[in-house]
Amino acid sequence: MSEAITLLAMFEDIEPASEGVEKLQQLGLNDDDMNVISGIPVKHTILGRPAAITYVSRIGMFGAILGMFLGIFFIYGIPYFYPLLVGGQAIFPIPQGIIITFEMTMLGLMGFSFLGMFIDSGFPSYTPKEYTPEISDGKVALLFSCPVSEQEKFIDALKNAGAVTVAPAEARHL
Amino acid sequence: MTTIAKPIARPHGEEHEDPRQYLMHDPLPRGQMNAMVMESMHETSPIFWLITAVLAATVVFSLGYEWYILIMQGQGMAGVTRPDYWGVFLVNTVFWIGISHAGTFISAILRVLKVESRRPFTRAAELMTTFGLVQAGLSIFMHLGRVWLVYWMFPIPNQRTIWPDFHSPLMWDLMAITTYLLCSTMYLFLPLIPDLAMARDRTEGGWLKQFYKILALGFRGTEGEWKNLTTAMNIFAFAIIPVMFSVHTIVSWDFAMATRPGWNSTVFGPYFVIGALHSGMAAVAIVLFLLRSTMKHYKYFIRPEHFNTIGMLMLLVSMAWAYFYFNDYLVPWYGGDVWDKLFQEYAEKGPKAYLWYTMLTCNIAVPWLILWNRKWRETPWLLAIAGILINVGMYLERYIIIPVGVTINRMPFTWRQYEPRIEVPMTVGTFAFFLLLYMLASRLIPLIPVWEVQEGQEAHLIRKIGKAEISTLSDME
Repeated sequence: MSEAITLLAMFEDIEPASEGVEKLQQLGLNDDDMNVISGIPVKHTILGRPAAITYVSRIGMFGAILGMFLGIFFIYGIPYFYPLLVGGQAIFPIPQGIIITFEMTMLGLMGFSFLGMFIDSGFPSYTPKEYTPEISDGKVALLFSCPVSEQEKFIDALKNAGAVTVAPAEARHL
Repeated sequence: MTTIAKPIARPHGEEHEDPRQYLMHDPLPRGQMNAMVMESMHETSPIFWLITAVLAATVVFSLGYEWYILIMQGQGMAGVTRPDYWGVFLVNTVFWIGISHAGTFISAILRVLKVESRRPFTRAAELMTTFGLVQAGLSIFMHLGRVWLVYWMFPIPNQRTIWPDFHSPLMWDLMAITTYLLCSTMYLFLPLIPDLAMARDRTEGGWLKQFYKILALGFRGTEGEWKNLTTAMNIFAFAIIPVMFSVHTIVSWDFAMATRPGWNSTVFGPYFVIGALHSGMAAVAIVLFLLRSTMKHYKYFIRPEHFNTIGMLMLLVSMAWAYFYFNDYLVPWYGGDVWDKLFQEYAEKGPKAYLWYTMLTCNIAVPWLILWNRKWRETPWLLAIAGILINVGMYLERYIIIPVGVTINRMPFTWRQYEPRIEVPMTVGTFAFFLLLYMLASRLIPLIPVWEVQEGQEAHLIRKIGKAEISTLSDME
């Protein structure tokens, strides 16, 4: 692509925004070169976009396995290193093992899912970004890059689709 | 003989309901809803700060000063002595864990089941979980006595090279409550991020702007961010439900694992879980009433339909509680074990019998008499009164199980009446601290998940079928 410019198109609603996405696709813009920013989650099929890839569940599963092994260590490893006989109970009991292993597995699953959300989204991030507060007030934004030489064509297409404004995106501190 | 045709049905009030009375069919522009929520956070009256000051003073005295006295002079300051070593501090622990259960139940189960009326009040309920668990943690630390040695329960060898014994139900408790506190706090934070971003966008300068900016983490609402957030929220909604059940089951095992009359019961696990939901649901009703009555614009967000939902759940849980209580009562009563019989007779006819009758009245009679009627369920103040009475009943239930339960043991020469002493002001302190945290949170974080409300409103439509206007829901998630 020759010299590129990033534009931010603002829409009043989801419907015209999905029209805008379609226009950009018709003009040959790659899906990777655009992003929809909204105040509520909008299903990718509504926007006509490919599904966003997330690694949160995989990171969560990794955490669950890690937590499970930690739980197994607590219930079986600790008595191995320091055997403590209590009330005639087995040193390596299965019922208690289920309880501790369950709790640690769930803690691992949820803790790592939480971390995964941070990692996958790049949070926390306080650098300037292309954004406008109108988005959290209900507007839908379409952020995309296109060649400078063709920007008028893209702007016209989006305005025809119902964009309220299309302007160069300005990175600002949130 | 002539046959006169009867009308098929008389017009009923409910058949002519206007769907627009429901929040999901009464949308406002998102910007306006944001403004309403922000205004409710920032407009405070002198009375609010007066109440906050009184609560803060109560916390300093009851939790600060009284706890200092307890630590310096020892557990003798409390009413616990042989055989009542488990007193009100543990009653408070179980009670606050119970309160904390409704937040997760309402938020997670209703989210999993896609119950739409949950949307405006999930956060108010989730906050109860976190703040309730803080009180539960404090209460168990009060019971510990030498609280500075709490690290002996961490999975590290202490200075005596002793590791904690994970075979003990008390260690299961530590693991379960810690897991629940951490996970419910994360679960509270996840759906809060978009609302913190909204608050960041609408706050001009000052420390509050920095506060929202830091907590919003740089969230903008891109497709990837929403995907990650909703995926994590789904994982939490499904995973936290069994954790919630495990926590109160394990709390019940603290008692049921002992071969003590009144405690050694196989039904204690589900009975405790239902008891926790009973008090927690009732607490949600109280909180919703207080928020609706005191916070500006909350009458738009929290409507009679939401009280109706909570009221129905309260009635259902009350019936389940009665069922489990009857199970727990009948088997020892029929079994004929002398110690079990003595415990039951002591509870019903002993000097504390008034607690037992009050418990049954508040937990069964009150909800069954009030909550069967939809109009009454939709009356916020009435539901709040029912909520207060149910919580009184549930507190008494824990009191009967713990201090009254330890009184009746197999050594009658040790029997004595437990009377709480320093426990009373410290209990007041936990209630004051809970309210104080909630009041401060109501000024700092949006208690209404505005994005979830808007998401629901986008999915709801009114469709005309025949002569009626029917509410329809599109699956947009």
